[in-house]
Amino acid sequence: MGRRAAVITLITTLVIAWGSLLATQAADITPRLGLDLQGGFEVRLEAPSCEDPDVVVQAVEIMRRRIEALGGVQEPEIAVEGDCNVLVQLPGVSDRDRALDAIGTTGQLEFRPVRTISPIPGLSPVFFNVEEPETPTTTTVPGDGSTTTTSPDGGTTTTSPDGGTTTTTAPPDTTTTTVADTTTTTGGDGTTTTAPDSTTTTQPSEPVDPTENVILPEGITWCDEVDQPGCVDPETGLTPNPDPDLDAFLATDFVDEGGIVYHLAPAALLGSDLDGASAQFQQSGGGGGGLGVGGGGAGEWIVLLDFNSEGGRKFAETTAELAGYPLGDPRRQFAIVLDSIVQSAPQVAAGVDPAEGITGGTAVITLGSAENQQSEASQLAVVLRYGSLPVAFEQSAVQSVSATLGEDSLQAGLIAGIGGLLLVAIAMIAYYRALGVVNVIGLTVFGSLMVVAFSLLGEWQGVTLTLAGVAGVIVAVGITSDSYIVYYERIKEEVHRGRSLRAAIDHAFSRSIRTILTADTVSFIGATLLFFLAVGAVKGFALALLIATIIDVLVAVFFTRPAVALLARSRLGEGGSLSIRGATGRAKEVEA
Amino acid sequence: MSVWKDLYHGDTHFDFVGNRRRWFTISAIIVVLSLGSLVFRQLNLGIDFEGGTLVEVENPAGATVSDVRDAISGLGLADAKVQTTGGGSGVRVQTGQLSQDDEQRLVEAVAAVAGVDPTEANRQSVGPTFGQQVTDSAIRALVVFLIVVALFITWRLEWRMAAAALVALGHDLVFTAGIYSLVGFEVTPATVVAILTILGYSLYDTVVVFDKVQENVKERGERHTISAIVNRSMNQVFMRSVNTSLTSLLPIGSLLFVGSFLLGAATLRQFALALFIGVGTGTYSSIFLAAPLLAIWKEREERWLRVRRRLERKGVDDEFAVKGIITDVEAHDEAQAAASSGAVPRPPRKRKRRR
Repeated sequence: MGRRAAVITLITTLVIAWGSLLATQAADITPRLGLDLQGGFEVRLEAPSCEDPDVVVQAVEIMRRRIEALGGVQEPEIAVEGDCNVLVQLPGVSDRDRALDAIGTTGQLEFRPVRTISPIPGLSPVFFNVEEPETPTTTTVPGDGSTTTTSPDGGTTTTSPDGGTTTTTAPPDTTTTTVADTTTTTGGDGTTTTAPDSTTTTQPSEPVDPTENVILPEGITWCDEVDQPGCVDPETGLTPNPDPDLDAFLATDFVDEGGIVYHLAPAALLGSDLDGASAQFQQSGGGGGGLGVGGGGAGEWIVLLDFNSEGGRKFAETTAELAGYPLGDPRRQFAIVLDSIVQSAPQVAAGVDPAEGITGGTAVITLGSAENQQSEASQLAVVLRYGSLPVAFEQSAVQSVSATLGEDSLQAGLIAGIGGLLLVAIAMIAYYRALGVVNVIGLTVFGSLMVVAFSLLGEWQGVTLTLAGVAGVIVAVGITSDSYIVYYERIKEEVHRGRSLRAAIDHAFSRSIRTILTADTVSFIGATLLFFLAVGAVKGFALALLIATIIDVLVAVFFTRPAVALLARSRLGEGGSLSIRGATGRAKEVEA
Repeated sequence: MSVWKDLYHGDTHFDFVGNRRRWFTISAIIVVLSLGSLVFRQLNLGIDFEGGTLVEVENPAGATVSDVRDAISGLGLADAKVQTTGGGSGVRVQTGQLSQDDEQRLVEAVAAVAGVDPTEANRQSVGPTFGQQVTDSAIRALVVFLIVVALFITWRLEWRMAAAALVALGHDLVFTAGIYSLVGFEVTPATVVAILTILGYSLYDTVVVFDKVQENVKERGERHTISAIVNRSMNQVFMRSVNTSLTSLLPIGSLLFVGSFLLGAATLRQFALALFIGVGTGTYSSIFLAAPLLAIWKEREERWLRVRRRLERKGVDDEFAVKGIITDVEAHDEAQAAASSGAVPRPPRKRKRRR
């Protein structure tokens, strides 16, 4: 290698390596640290079936929006791993409960027509053999179009019933219920609130066995140990693990707290049928009942539902069927179920044509004008929007790392790395003398490029540096040192054969670069395969090794070669025991 | 010259191939012992493979293992593994899978006895299916890796070298796994990472050695038996191997040291341990197992049988007369080098210096 070419290559390499490090540092681009190094929360979710990768991808999108909507999480990382795993990483989050809340509601959203509503809060209708509740009286003012459904008391919208109460005494086996409905109607064109609140107390005599004589709906069994989908728990009368294709007994909230329990038909629509939902304030008296967003004045909060084309068709079919029941009949309601909990159970508004249902792919749930309805409406909208994950995930691994322990790990990694580098530097200089110095400078070039690579990958691709990655880098120090050793040993060998130093250096490089390339290719293949095939910590490690292998070859060609060539021409080439020739051990024989 | 000087100058004349029976016996004993240990003692699998819950906290209160055991005794976790880490500055409790509530109770109990806030705890809970996935993906990666690398070595070098490299690799894997089961070290994802690294490292090392063999075969042609050439190659790369092992073991040793004495570095320790063992055995197997294996394998090839017969006819019994070869070769090489470069480099320099 000519002197001029060597000088230019060497300077260019050093400028690029150290300059890019300074530039990224100046621009405040540093490697993104993984959860294990900065603390945080990580949950790995597994889809029950991995047949359709699109479903998982869609679920990831939904989760991302949901986490962003909840706020307070910096740089959440949600990635699909393999076919059916989703890895959610929330760095900096140490509050485990909050984090689990953020992703915990990964349930399935279902729209289920109501069959019956339990007259007694907290008691499941499965224990009653009653089908026909009395038709209540309802006054409804039709809305501005067919796209109005009215909301009775849904578990999420109102927590306690506020209507009148009727007491019914029931004989032991057959229970008669009377549903008393109080309907409040807000006047005005196009705005309707119907709230049939059924609060009924019944005093059934204690059945000897609650499950005895109970006729379960078709396809439903009592739960045994396994909680098979759709089964009914004999104690609570609820469905712990609802099957969208079967009837279910679900409550607005925990039964113990007196939630309303519904007997629901199979799901008519799923969350994936919904395109979007938003909470809006609909002003009354505006004429024509147009959707207005406004703060003051009379009006009420609504949730606007937007179905996709298939969802719109199904919704029309379902509402047509429901509209066939008289107003106030529970069967005119459908329940919005998320995670086995009834979030809301609006009734199909009067005026909906039983022949057509609610068409047009949109619908409105009217909540009311009270102060608290604003939060109720937005909450329901959030549930509808972000609750509509197409698959129910299982948490297969949950990990939280406290910030202090993460810092400790980072510190330990840095100490180990710096200590290891120092030891290698000392060993190389002791053994190869002047050439060892080339190695040490080369390690700084290698280190700079590694930091820059991880900084940029973190900035552009969101790649994080984990503890396994740090370990990979430390291992790479060994591999990159090997490239020097292969080269230096080769120089020694060539000098032993009697070549001049310069000839030996050039010849040794062309020979050793072949060896280095072959060996690095093996490492490269290994790291690449690991990166694409493995999961978890192995991935971070493989990436570090992959980058290190590439940088190793670059350093060998663009740094080590010109540096050694120049060194050979300098005073450190031939003279003295510290020189290259000194390191080859042939100096004395030359003198002799 | 002392052995050290010989080593330093690459002038060693160790008979690697000639002593192959010794090396093969050592390797065979190691493999049998390792396999026996794997069968009878099994591996101590971490929660990532078996499923379970892990809680790790700092330990400002200086709780001992028995303190922690007392604190969690009421939770019905008889099979919990309690350890102190980082020389007593941390506490680590590992149990089978727990419900969310039980896990919370465990974390609170451990945090209380160690004197930290429960939110400061590191927690990990893993379902059994995930561990299965990690294992499956690692095995799948391993198989594909081996096939691709075998093809690459076959293409770049030759298939016998690929086969010998894989034998050496298997030896390293079995040995490392054997040590793990014998000592009862816990197998974690970090260990899997480390073992995969060992694969890469072992192959890398073997490839460097074989590359040299191939080069020597090209240079020396059929003037020597393959065993002699392999032996000569081993002596040439021996110092490289020793140095590389040293420079790899230094940072790994640093990891191991830091991992053992600093908190929060349990992963580093697990990682470094497997690497330390693996790099050592990787260096050993490439020189003492893969290379002699290659030599006896290639001796059976028609080409090298012919060479041997010819040399025997000439009365050159050079198979292990390593010194003879080297002097011979060096004399030849020096002459050749001098002829090819067209210059005699040293005398002019001498004159210069004297002036």
